[in-house]
Formats: sequence, structure tokens, C-alpha cells
Amino acid sequence: MYNLQLSPEQLEIRDTVRDFVARDVKPHALRPERLEARTRPLLIDVLDKASQLGLRTLALSEDAGGAGADTLTSAIVTEELALGDPDVAAVLAQTSMLAHLLFDRLMTPEQHARFLPPFLADDRYQLALADLEPDRDGVLGIRYHRPEMSEAGVKTTAVRAGDVWVINGVKDRVANAPLAKLFAVEVSNGANGVSTLLVPSDAPGLSISESDRSSHFHHGACGTLAFQDCRVPLENLIGAEGESPLDGNATRDLPQDQALNLGIGRAAYEAALDYAQLRVQGGRRIVEHQAIGTKLAEVAVRLEVARAAIWQAAWACDHPEAIADRSLPDLPLTRIAKVFASEAIYHATKDAAECFGAMGVMRDMPLQKYAHDALVCLHSGTSNSDTKLHIAEALAGYRRPASAAVLAAE
Amino acid sequence: MDFTLSNEQRSWQMTARKFAEEEIRPISVERDEISDPRETFDWEIIKKGSRLGFRTMAVPKEWGGHGTDFVTQALVMAELAKADSAISKTFSQCWKWSHLIAATCTDEQKRRFLQPFLEDDTYLLGKGISEPSAGSDNRLPPPDDPKAGLKLRAERHGDDWILNGEKCFIANASVGKLFFIDARTDPNAPLKQGTTMFLVPRDTPGFRIGKVFNKSGWRFYQNGEMIFENARVPHANVVGPVNGSDMKTQQAGDRTGGDLFGDLELAANALGVCDDACGMALRLARTKKQGGRLLFEQQVVQLKLNRMHLLTEALRSFVMRVAWEHDHKMHSANPGLCMNFSTDVIQEVSERNLELHADAGVMNARADKLVRDAIIWSHLAGDSVQRMKTTRRLAK
Repeated sequence: MYNLQLSPEQLEIRDTVRDFVARDVKPHALRPERLEARTRPLLIDVLDKASQLGLRTLALSEDAGGAGADTLTSAIVTEELALGDPDVAAVLAQTSMLAHLLFDRLMTPEQHARFLPPFLADDRYQLALADLEPDRDGVLGIRYHRPEMSEAGVKTTAVRAGDVWVINGVKDRVANAPLAKLFAVEVSNGANGVSTLLVPSDAPGLSISESDRSSHFHHGACGTLAFQDCRVPLENLIGAEGESPLDGNATRDLPQDQALNLGIGRAAYEAALDYAQLRVQGGRRIVEHQAIGTKLAEVAVRLEVARAAIWQAAWACDHPEAIADRSLPDLPLTRIAKVFASEAIYHATKDAAECFGAMGVMRDMPLQKYAHDALVCLHSGTSNSDTKLHIAEALAGYRRPASAAVLAAE
Repeated sequence: MDFTLSNEQRSWQMTARKFAEEEIRPISVERDEISDPRETFDWEIIKKGSRLGFRTMAVPKEWGGHGTDFVTQALVMAELAKADSAISKTFSQCWKWSHLIAATCTDEQKRRFLQPFLEDDTYLLGKGISEPSAGSDNRLPPPDDPKAGLKLRAERHGDDWILNGEKCFIANASVGKLFFIDARTDPNAPLKQGTTMFLVPRDTPGFRIGKVFNKSGWRFYQNGEMIFENARVPHANVVGPVNGSDMKTQQAGDRTGGDLFGDLELAANALGVCDDACGMALRLARTKKQGGRLLFEQQVVQLKLNRMHLLTEALRSFVMRVAWEHDHKMHSANPGLCMNFSTDVIQEVSERNLELHADAGVMNARADKLVRDAIIWSHLAGDSVQRMKTTRRLAK
């Protein structure tokens, strides 16, 4: 049964995070230097506190020492965090999601024993996934509904040399790169296919550089990894050689970015609603004017419909049986939520800013930041144009022949 | 119907295009990126543009200006804005108040103020209306609240008026040499019957500029605070009748520096930005490849380019029509409608340009700037207020 009634635990987590954001995040997030959308520093102290609250290990199973949160709970927490600060929300969501994926589902017992204790013990131990490369953009675009062309294969290589893998190549647009202490890296084993290796940030031959916000649209901290004869033990392979468990964007179906986007929209909405009840023009509070009332209503409509789409996608991730029994349509629900939410929320933040008149575009006020943050969501990750093409292929039941990728790579 | 430009109009357009491409465009993004809002301004570009006539082109010929018509002004604003919206606006802000001087000032005032304005390449004009607690109230004064609107007080003392209060968001505040200031001269009367306009030179004792606002767009354009502490202005600087600030628009018709030119100005400026966005997007689509093929070959790209161009060309038609109607002294709600339309168009077109770049994985500081500049249109005077004000003109 499709059911979005939150459990007492979910409500409690939401209240806890909401209090944390009001008390420990918002006051920092609204400092003048944080309002400079393009150069703002990460709130490291807030990340530490959030980790102590268990938000870094939220989705990690309770057996492994986490909170065992499901996708919907994670989405609720990400929304609340993004209400205070999207960068904090992005860093924690990525680590939490990867913690569940790596520790709960993919690591061998030996890897678990080696990497879990230091991960749990260190509030600043973040995780990252390195799968994108320069010139490997993953764009569908011209390949829409066509089997013959394929993007280039993974160029970063890993070769066995005695008891180590030797890695060479470059990964970019790696979320959490400047903070992560452990990376899951997609590598090519030549004819053997694509594998995933665990690479600690201090591995010899790995250099990490932070990318600034003018390099691509993103929240959180991103960077580039350069591998030059980088060595990791053979035992750092995840899954079988040539069968990367992460290939095919296994992690991209979770609506975390959309939940983050929603938090930004809500921050703008709450600010506008407060202001509209204080500011007097035309002889009355501006909320009492039809023009402003309607604008606020449209903002609320956009946010609530976006939330419905995002929560449905999150709930579907937690209940795959609901698609099997036809309670929910067999459609790419997260992609659908992404297109709707990113456009609706961008408009909502612009409308919210308009309620502030000239103050809505001032850099020392948060409204321009919310609109900019929503614009970043609109253009980060897979573009909406491309997402629509993916949805269209799914609607038509199109499946790209697997052999095409191999043929094109040769 | 004839859309052919005269030789003189064409010549102004070409001069503006050359100046914009060669002088303004190279400094546009660089000025935008300066973080201190007081430092974004560049006097060199103002002086160069002034020598070409772009500061004084709206001053009537009989007073020593160029006396260009509104069609020419629209063409030049769009050409300059194509290179930088905020720099174009800095010049056209002077035309707006040149129109006001021509329409409302006495010959004695014109001699005192137009002469130095014409002679000095750094003489910029501004007008102060908005105040911290009076934005929309000045544009749509509520009938049931006669006290609403600007509060800056002016009291007569012999031959002088003493001004006290403050203004905010005032264009050219930190760089202007002469300002038109609306002040309450009868605090008990409703706004329109209790306000008087004063000419206030920069060096007026008791008058100073506060902070310059740090906007996300139009960063070159200086919007500042004005503080009046017993500022002393001679009675000879009163523009029009005392308690008759509002009379200017009705008396002046389309020679005014008030709303009618302001609407055309914003719409023409938006047109230039849209031209730039269309040019950038088309260039990208015809040079950038994905999967070995030009972006232009993709249907989704073609549809976006189509949307950008159709909106831009529709705006061009509207802008030129409004300019032509100004020249023929035809009054209607069209200037307001055109300005409202330009708000929608500049935002959609600049956002689509950014989207095309982002989709192609291309980060472009200029595409980002155009979006930030475009958002300013919704915040100039309250977007809904501007639209309702236009609608009320329709009902007159």
C-alpha cells in the first residue's frame, strides 16, 4: 500500500534535525560571507556537530553503527539540512548514502574490518564516489533512442602489479573530493571491463584538487582526482574484477539532490512568508494584497507538488514491491521528480525574492542566495533536457543494446 | 508601416554598436566580478561614451544637446546593453532626467544645470524617490492611507528649504552630480498633493551619500543611500509648483523623464541583453560538439533557440513601436505593457542561454551575468506593482 504517513521515529528525526538547523546551522549560514553564493567557505564546525548527531552515518545500518535510515528518512533529513545550508546537506547526504552502499552492501568482511572503525571514529571522515572523467560527460543528447553511438569508455586504468593495483588517470566532478578520506573509484581493466577500487585519500600517487564553483554547478565540495602510478592493495577491489557494482549509476536513483533542492525552496518560502506578514505597503501588510497572496500561494503549490513527487520517488526506493504490484507506475520516478522539482523550485525562489522588492537582489540578504542555490540545482547533475530524454526512452521501453558500448569502445 | 531607419538613426546605431563592442564588452564581465560595489564603476568608459554623445543625446538641440528622437534612443540603449546592460543604463539614466529638465525646469534652471551637464563628461544625473519604508507606496499610493509614501521632509525657511530624511536604492547616487529629489512639503496631504520636487546638487551642505548597495546583478550600476541632515536647498531649485511633484507627468506628456521614458528605457535595454543571449546561444550551438556532432543538429537545441529568438524579435517589434509612438506623441498603456513584457522575455531568454551552456557542460561567466542582470527587472519597482500600474492606465 502506498503510504506516506511518517513513523514516530521519522517525525522525531525530523524535529531533531529541524532544531539543530535552527540553532546551529542557520545562524552561521546567514553570516555575510556565507551569502556570497560563489565563494562561500564550508561550515566545517557544523559538519562536525552534524556527525556527532549521527547525520554522517544516517543511512548506515544499525549493525554497522549507523542509524539505518531508509531513503525517505534520508530525504527528509537532507531537506531540513538544506533549509539551513545546502553545502552541509550535500556533504552529509553523499557520505551517508555511500556509507550504506559500501559498508552494508558491497564490502567484503575484510574490507569492512579495515575501513569501518576509522570511518566511525572520525567525524571528518567523508566518503566519495569517483566515476566521472573529463571528456566522459555521460550525456545522452545526440544518442537519444539510437544504439549505434556510445560515449567513450572509462579511461582511468588499473593494472595488477604483484600485490597492488597501479592506477593512472583523472576523475573530475567528484562530490566530497576535498573532504573524503576514502574513494570508490571506477577503473578500466582493459578488455576485462570496469571495476571499482577503494582508494584512501593518502594513497601514494593520488593528488586531490578542489574545484571552485566556477568549474561546474554543484553544492557541497567537489574536486578532481589525479592518479599517477597510484598504488592500492589488491584486496581493495569491490566485487569481481570487470564487474563494477557501481557501473550504471546505481547511486543516482536516490532523490537526495531533489530533497536538497526542496530545502532551498522552503528556506526562500519561509523567509517570504515571514516578511509578507511584517512589511506594510498600500496601507496593509503585503500578505493581505492579492498580488502577494497569490504569489505566496503559487510558491506553496510548487513546493508541495515537488515534495509529493520527491517523497513518492523516495518511498518507491524503499518499497520496490510497490512497483511490482502496480501500486506505483514503473517509471523513472526520481528523474520525473528531478525535472519537476528543479524547475518549480527555481521559480518559487524567484517569486519569493520578488516579495522583498529591491532587497530581494541584495547580496547581504539571503533571498538572492536562495535563487542562486536553486539555479545551481537546476543545472547540476544530469541536465533537465537530458533527463527528459532518459524518461522518454523509459516511456517507450527503449533498451540500448549492451553490445553497442563494447563495439564503440573498440 | 515603415521600419526603415533614417540615415541619422542608422548612424547613431552604428556608432553605439562599435563603441559597445570595442570599449564596453571587453570590460563588462571584469567589472561585474569586482566584489566591492563601490569599485565596479569605471569613469573612463563614461568619459569615452560621453565624448561620443551617449550621455547627452536626449538634450534638445536648442539647449545644445543632440536632440535625438526616441527611436534613436531605443536603438542606442539596446546596442549599449548588448555589451553591458548596467553600463547602458548608467548612460540612459542621464537621458531620463534630461527629458525631465527639458519638460519641467524653468529657463533659468536649465541655464544653471543643463550648461554644466553638457560641458562635463563626468556630470551624471539621478532622481531620489524610494525610501526604506516607501517603495510601492510611491507608485501606487493607497487611497485609504494618505500618510503612505515617501517621508523625506522639506520645510521652508525664508529663501531656502531644509531637507531631512533618507532615500535608498537611488541610481547613480554615488557618482551623480545633480539629483531630483521628491520630498514631502505637506505631511498632512496625500502623497500626490503634498510632495515637491527639488534640484539638489551633489555638494549641497547637509547632503551626503551613504552605502552603495551590493546587488547580485547590474553591478556596474550604482544604487546608493542618500542622507539629508538639514540639507539646505534654495527655493530657486524647486521644480514645478510646490506640492505639485506629480504634475510633471501630466504636463510634460511624452517629453517627460517620468514613467513613459522609464518604461521604454527598460524594455530597450532588455532587448539588447536578449540580443546578446541569442548570439551567445547560437554561437555555442554552431561550434560546440557532443557525440561528434554539433549541438545545433539536436532538436531540443533547435527548439530552445527558436523560443529565444521568437521572444526577442517580438520584443524588438514592441520596443520600436513604443519608441515610434513616443515620437508621434501617441499616448497609451503600451510603454508599460512593453516594459512588463520585457521582464518576462529577458528572464526567459537569459535563462535559456545559461541552460544551453550548462547542458553542454560549458561554464560561462557572461551567461551567468545575463541571468543576474535580468532578475533585476523584477525588483526595480515591485513587479506586480508595475503591472497593475500599467493596467490602471488602460482603464483611464
